[in-house]
Amino acid sequence: MDWLEEELRNALARKEPSPDFAARVHDAVRRPRTVFNIRPWLAAAASLIVMGSAGGAAWRHHQGVQAKQRVMLAVRITAAKLNQIQNHVREVNR
Amino acid sequence: MRRNAAALVAAWLVLPLNAQQFKFNLEHLESKASNTVDLSLSGSTLRFAAKFLDDDDEDEVKVKKLINGLEGIYIKAFEFKTAGAWSQADVEQLRTQLRTPEWSRIVGVKSAEDDCNAEVYVRNEKGKVSGVAIIATGTTSLTVVNIVGPVDLDSLADLSGHLGVPKLQSKPGRKM
Repeated sequence: MDWLEEELRNALARKEPSPDFAARVHDAVRRPRTVFNIRPWLAAAASLIVMGSAGGAAWRHHQGVQAKQRVMLAVRITAAKLNQIQNHVREVNR
Repeated sequence: MRRNAAALVAAWLVLPLNAQQFKFNLEHLESKASNTVDLSLSGSTLRFAAKFLDDDDEDEVKVKKLINGLEGIYIKAFEFKTAGAWSQADVEQLRTQLRTPEWSRIVGVKSAEDDCNAEVYVRNEKGKVSGVAIIATGTTSLTVVNIVGPVDLDSLADLSGHLGVPKLQSKPGRKM
């Protein structure tokens, strides 16, 4: 077990820090910390949500108007054909 | 699990067939037509469109009432520049699909004077009208309509004269 003890002794032996260690720590403490500011992100996210929902509503309205126009066209075509047929039937029945 | 997936696929395949009550099979005429109208309005589209119909507009109120409860409107209308673009076989394949016990032909019109042949079929299921088919042909036109769901044909025909469609009046003293 001598080799193991030797290894442990080496690993756990007291080691002196490098000469510039104190200076580096001091520098790190004095350096201004960059703080993550959440406010602009929140504002951007909020405006994205508002723009998204407004765009969604506009798109939905556009789709609705298109659907309405297609329904009106369908009814127009069908009504015209039925009216034509009714007219012929009325004439025959006269 | 596999059986459920198969049922889902089968339902997905069957759904479009259920929506439209017969197939038009007229795609080959599109290239020959000078004007084509192809409308496939499912029940959900009709309900969505109904929300945009103006309650203050008399015609739109009538349309809203008319489409209420419908499950679909499907239309193919072609106009051709020359005669002979469509064939009797195109119309016959439609008639063949409508020769089932559910469908009954209620009107057939042939008019050489107006160049108008038209047939109206009504689909009855469990004693209730569940669909209407219209086949209207002219020398240079062909229109097929399938309205799915309960529909009042009289009130639909009455809508012409409104919606920018001129209402045809019988010519006095004309006989067919």
